[in-house]
Amino acid sequence: MLDIYLQLYSILREKLPPEAEGRAVLQMDDGVTLAELLDELDISRRVVISVNGDHESNRSRKLQDGDEVKIFSSISGG
Amino acid sequence: MAYGYTGKILHVDLTSGMLSVEEPDETFYRKYMGGSALAMYYLLKELPVGVDPLGPENILVMALSVLTGTAISGQSRLTAAAKSPLTGGIGDSQGGGFFPAELKFAGFDAVVIKGKTEKPVYLWIHDGQYELRDASHLWGKITGESEAAIREELGDEKIEVWQIGPAGEKGVRFAGVFSMSNRANGRTGMGAVMGSKNLKAVAVRGKKRPSVADKAGLRELAKWGAANLADSDIAGLAKYGTAETTGSNQTSGTLPAYNYNSGVFDGWEAIDGTTMYDTILRGAPDGKQDRAGRDTCYACTVRCKRVVEITEGKYKVDPHYGGPEYETTSTFGNYCAIDDLAAISKANEICNKYGLDSISCGATIAWAFEAFNEGKLTLDDTDGLDLTWGNADAMVQLTEHIAKREGFGDLLAEGSERAAKQIGRGTEEYLITFKGQEAPAHMPRVKRSLAVIYTTNPFGADHQSHEHDPAIEDDFEFYEDRMAVLGFTEEQEVRSLSDEKIRWAMKSQHMYSTMDSLDLCQFVFGPAWQLYGPEEMLKLVQAVTGWEDVSFDELQTVGERRLNMMRAFNAREGIDRRADVLPEKLFKPLKGGVSDGWQLDRDEVEAALDKYFELCGWDVETGVPTKGKLKELDLGWIDIG
Repeated sequence: MLDIYLQLYSILREKLPPEAEGRAVLQMDDGVTLAELLDELDISRRVVISVNGDHESNRSRKLQDGDEVKIFSSISGG
Repeated sequence: MAYGYTGKILHVDLTSGMLSVEEPDETFYRKYMGGSALAMYYLLKELPVGVDPLGPENILVMALSVLTGTAISGQSRLTAAAKSPLTGGIGDSQGGGFFPAELKFAGFDAVVIKGKTEKPVYLWIHDGQYELRDASHLWGKITGESEAAIREELGDEKIEVWQIGPAGEKGVRFAGVFSMSNRANGRTGMGAVMGSKNLKAVAVRGKKRPSVADKAGLRELAKWGAANLADSDIAGLAKYGTAETTGSNQTSGTLPAYNYNSGVFDGWEAIDGTTMYDTILRGAPDGKQDRAGRDTCYACTVRCKRVVEITEGKYKVDPHYGGPEYETTSTFGNYCAIDDLAAISKANEICNKYGLDSISCGATIAWAFEAFNEGKLTLDDTDGLDLTWGNADAMVQLTEHIAKREGFGDLLAEGSERAAKQIGRGTEEYLITFKGQEAPAHMPRVKRSLAVIYTTNPFGADHQSHEHDPAIEDDFEFYEDRMAVLGFTEEQEVRSLSDEKIRWAMKSQHMYSTMDSLDLCQFVFGPAWQLYGPEEMLKLVQAVTGWEDVSFDELQTVGERRLNMMRAFNAREGIDRRADVLPEKLFKPLKGGVSDGWQLDRDEVEAALDKYFELCGWDVETGVPTKGKLKELDLGWIDIG
């Protein structure tokens, strides 16, 4: 099992209980991908993701134990 | 019967005091539809070439559309257009709130203002009536005070006021026009034009709602929007404001920092929308910010506007003046390497009190910060203000000095390009201006089509003139259906300037140009992530106007027509491709983060501009619309000379 350190921003925070303030440590199966993490969180819309501080647009990236994943809901203009 | 529009245009000659009403026929409204395209018609017909933008000959047009004031989200917006004192070419700006709908209810689709009065006046429009009234007692007052004074003297708290602040009176070249003391027609200096005419405000009140051809169809669209908002891509924007995009822009390396030298800013989290929501929105201490800290425009269920209240600490902020958008947190924040949200909110409050465009103001200050940090400006130049990166106190003080045209602020009130020209010492290399207008907070070195649109846009850099690259790049899979309506079925490579990308930029520009003519909010309507897509926009026009045979192509033509009118306006003023120039800074590499090293390639950009002009049907060498293109758009009456 992997520990994934998750932080959600803006409206995505509502995927977690309010007291979590968008933060959670998720236990995920070895070999889990970003796409599977998004499925787990029921996120199907456009989001921007960073893994360990780096922008990641490859949804098939396999996550590692201890990875810090930040997910942003966002418009692309404004 | 006219549906959606009143059929009345008010003409105001401030020099003679003559006011008259024109009643154009339906073909006029079908051809221009309102907003920016309608305004361009009057500017091209009535404004002499070569006039001083701050002289009495300039004409200020305020224009609604055939949709304004109907009961659906995203329609209560107003275009202000005139020759710009900032760019010297066409000026154009849209703003929302309740004023636009109220002007329609008061009986008019547009107001065309020329001349200049000897003493300050305001225009009072109510239930089809109109008069100029003395505004001597309002001159010099900040927005909140003059708004309250007008309501009191006219005896109606529900009057909406569209006005300039002291910055517009003093001719700050990026002064805007404001309603509700916090909704801005911010860009291109329309407030300075209004001030030069001694016109302090336009006050409106009316009861006549516009007729709608298909009320059931309109209701259905409105209900669809309300039902789908929570599951849409703007759900976050609605609750957390435009500044929710700070974190995602940081992640993708397109958060302009250190005056556009970097695409990342370490202090981003302190100034993003989520933090704003949790800390300084009115009601946040009691968890009631959803009710108390969000505001809206007429009939809009999105409620994206921020209401900030700070009662403790160094920077207290009055909620009457709203709260900062993403552009404002960026220009006063990451542009200047400032991570103090209270200070940024204070600068925003000053802009709204005194009537300044927060984009040009913050970006001009960022230019001064860079010049200071590079040793090109000293404390002697800045009245002793220490403009070291991150100095929030200096930023707030300088904002106030600009608003009041005091000391160094008086020079910066001319805009960064004129200031750099006067100071010299190599400070021109720190500019991020296009046609004299400072760039907003989206980066051409990351989203490459912005390089083409910022550069060619007739009124200078503008982030709301086309769809940004992600919709045709990484995010294409989410918007395939809407992109297909626009005519695009292939995802494009990230950071490319392919021919197809340029064609897409132009087509999406036409749609945004249509929306600026229909005066539609570009968060609520648009070609990609917005609540309503192109098909719903078409249904809305059909439902309101009863023009059942109007097509999406016809709407696109309205946008293309407006864009060609603007380029033609500039061409008459001698502004052509020679002015389509990018800031040198964009050809230098970004520093830090994911976008480290990214820069524009000069040859690639020039080739992209060639392609863009060719696709537009403009002369590639001059960038001027050809006679054939103008004729094709039923604009054969325009004489470029």
